Amino acid sequence: MKMQRRLWLPVFVTALALAGCSSTKHNTTASSSTPAPAPSAAATSAAPATAPASTPAAPVSTPAAPVSSPAAPVSTASGNLTVWVDAVRLPDAKAYQAAHPNVKMNIVTFDGDGNGATSLQTKIQLWNKAGSGWPDVIFSEQVNDPVWMAQDPFNFAADMGAALGKSVTSQWPAASLAQCTVNGTLVCIQDNLAPDVLWVNQKLMTQFGYTVPKTWQDWAALGQKVATDHPGYVIGASGESYGAWQYFWANQCPLESNVSGQKVTINVTDVHCTEMASLLDPLIKNGSLPPLSVFSPDFAKKYGGTADKVLMMVGPAWYTGVFHDTLKTPAGEMTTAPALQWGTDTPVTTGQIGGGPWIISKHTSNPAAAADFVLWSTTVFNPDPTGPNARPGLPGYGALQGPWLSGLTSNKYWAADPGPAIKAAASQIWSGWDLVTYPDQPVWSNTVVTGLVAGKSLSSLMPAFGKALGQAAQAAGYTVATS
Amino acid sequence: MSDTPLTPAIAQATRKRGLRAGRPGRKRTQGNWRGLPFVLPYLPFLIVFGVLPMIYAITLAFTSTKGKFVGLSNFNKAGGDFRFGDAFAHVFVYTAVWLVALMIFVVGLALMLHSRASKATATFRFLYYMPGALAGAASVLVWLFMLDPAVSPARLLLEHVFGVHFFVEAIAPGHLPYIFAMIAFWTGAGGWIVVLYGALNNIPNELEEAARIDGAGAWTIALRLKLPMIRKWVAYMVILSFATGTQLFVEPQLVNEASLGHVPDTWSANQLAYQLAFRYARFNEAAAISVDLLVIGLIAAVLIVTRTGLFKKDD
Repeated sequence: MKMQRRLWLPVFVTALALAGCSSTKHNTTASSSTPAPAPSAAATSAAPATAPASTPAAPVSTPAAPVSSPAAPVSTASGNLTVWVDAVRLPDAKAYQAAHPNVKMNIVTFDGDGNGATSLQTKIQLWNKAGSGWPDVIFSEQVNDPVWMAQDPFNFAADMGAALGKSVTSQWPAASLAQCTVNGTLVCIQDNLAPDVLWVNQKLMTQFGYTVPKTWQDWAALGQKVATDHPGYVIGASGESYGAWQYFWANQCPLESNVSGQKVTINVTDVHCTEMASLLDPLIKNGSLPPLSVFSPDFAKKYGGTADKVLMMVGPAWYTGVFHDTLKTPAGEMTTAPALQWGTDTPVTTGQIGGGPWIISKHTSNPAAAADFVLWSTTVFNPDPTGPNARPGLPGYGALQGPWLSGLTSNKYWAADPGPAIKAAASQIWSGWDLVTYPDQPVWSNTVVTGLVAGKSLSSLMPAFGKALGQAAQAAGYTVATS
Repeated sequence: MSDTPLTPAIAQATRKRGLRAGRPGRKRTQGNWRGLPFVLPYLPFLIVFGVLPMIYAITLAFTSTKGKFVGLSNFNKAGGDFRFGDAFAHVFVYTAVWLVALMIFVVGLALMLHSRASKATATFRFLYYMPGALAGAASVLVWLFMLDPAVSPARLLLEHVFGVHFFVEAIAPGHLPYIFAMIAFWTGAGGWIVVLYGALNNIPNELEEAARIDGAGAWTIALRLKLPMIRKWVAYMVILSFATGTQLFVEPQLVNEASLGHVPDTWSANQLAYQLAFRYARFNEAAAISVDLLVIGLIAAVLIVTRTGLFKKDD
């Protein structure tokens, strides 16, 4: 019996250790491709003063790019610079490195998508706790990231307006700047603008004898027709994590509106929400708006590539890449049409998906190089809209929009120039949709899309969606108004 | 409960072997010290990655962000979170499914392997063990492919037996505890089969022979002789598996990302703790959830230990 009692100790220790590990054992999901770097040496912040003006003119990495940016300054940046970017922005960071040999860059890629990835929150919390390790610049695919980054407990985002100067930031549309303004301070700058337009397969439309719809109602009527006459073809997808941004933002449904301080309005019973849900329901049911994501292998296999069954799709400007690279829709078929109008409502409003922001760290020890990198990335970098080193969205910086759009015009991949509709939609984004600190897109995925997959109607899922959004908002410290 | 031998022949054989179990206390102490070099290399890791984080978690759980003692306030706040109930319910369903599967199939397969002592046994042992050699994350990825009808080699099975045509249907919320249990079983069971097989090998041959002389068949030997004798190993497996089961994290976390958010990032209790800590900076409440898991693991361990006499040496 003595033995038995004595053996309790190791068992307890083992059991305690197993349970105690729970918060530390499994932190395996952060996917930075290189280890978190040490902070830049403090000395480097003084470097610009002594560094020679190395590059006679701000260089552009790909000679083919038709760039002549008026604001491109002569760069004198040097020293260490740690930047965190998504995979899409990697060519940009590499091109900056090639063009600025005086800057010693540490480029880290991470999973910055909008599906609830918490890599950034985790890392910033840990850097804050450790008191070191912060990168100098971050690009995030989640447009709401700067909102929490600028506030307690993260306190990460530096004043972007001060870093770039007003003469530069004034080149962005006012709505874009408003989106990056938190408590009166500009804390980020949008890489690109991502208004929704109607993507159209011109070849199929002609083949089926359809005219391109101008209103949501025409679009839905066409969806009914397609389901009967050409089953298997789709007029969009309803399984994206950003589905609410795709459809409800466009129709001014207040799912995250009237944000002031820690207050938010979430009203799923508003007529703008219910009428959109009723419009989509028959389409989801008849299979012309399947609850799949364009990024799922299932969708690409069934509707992409040689299957070529995407007739239309409401999607943002960066869907250039979705058709060209993800779905591999054959060349000479796709183009855009203006954002859809709700009945006869004016002015026409549309939603926005993405338009990722650049953020400079408050803790950077090399603010000059950090600002120079952001400036270069947003105002100089290759505005080619497609290809391996493309900028996948309409540049936020006004002077770069022209070259980017003309790149679309001259690209033979498109059946007709998709640029004009994208440019027009950029000024139609509904301004009543505010960004919040909590991730709302996963809420749509795990309350609505899972229900749609199980065969429920969107209208029947809306109350649960509203409730879940409210809970997410409250958990993040918001007071929720429902009317 | 005690191991009552089945027949006089077995009783005799047991008595013969049993003599070795009891040893004078002095020698036993010496033996313990001799074991020290074996555990020493692990000890620093246990302290740094096990014991210290545990003490840190307990400290955090009972204090405020300013380090003031706050009693059970963090536990109440964490327990009041709207995701708390769901997360623990998910974890318990998952753990129950997984433990039952482990007990039935692992013990069953180990007994079957042992009763057919042949060259094939070694091959099977190796095959069972193989999936366990994959790291947790890699095995989840394997299953993500297996469950996606677009790429799965088991597509026909998925489509015609389970009526699953798309990946999003495969990972419908109701399927998840079973899917995660399946992944865990597939990666973890092989190791335990090998362990239990080893335990079965420790059963003296005389006992089996004696049972056979008494007229026991393969079934009787497996269920009434072998099973009671490896009972402690099964208990040991259940304790460890219960602890790792309630701490489920990697599988739902990866499926959350792979499913583009269909599976909530707070599906399991451990994920909720992770989110509370890193999304909301509520480290103290996150620690409270860790301590909840610790307490649950301890209670389960105590119950199993006392019920099975896991550490009784002298029966």
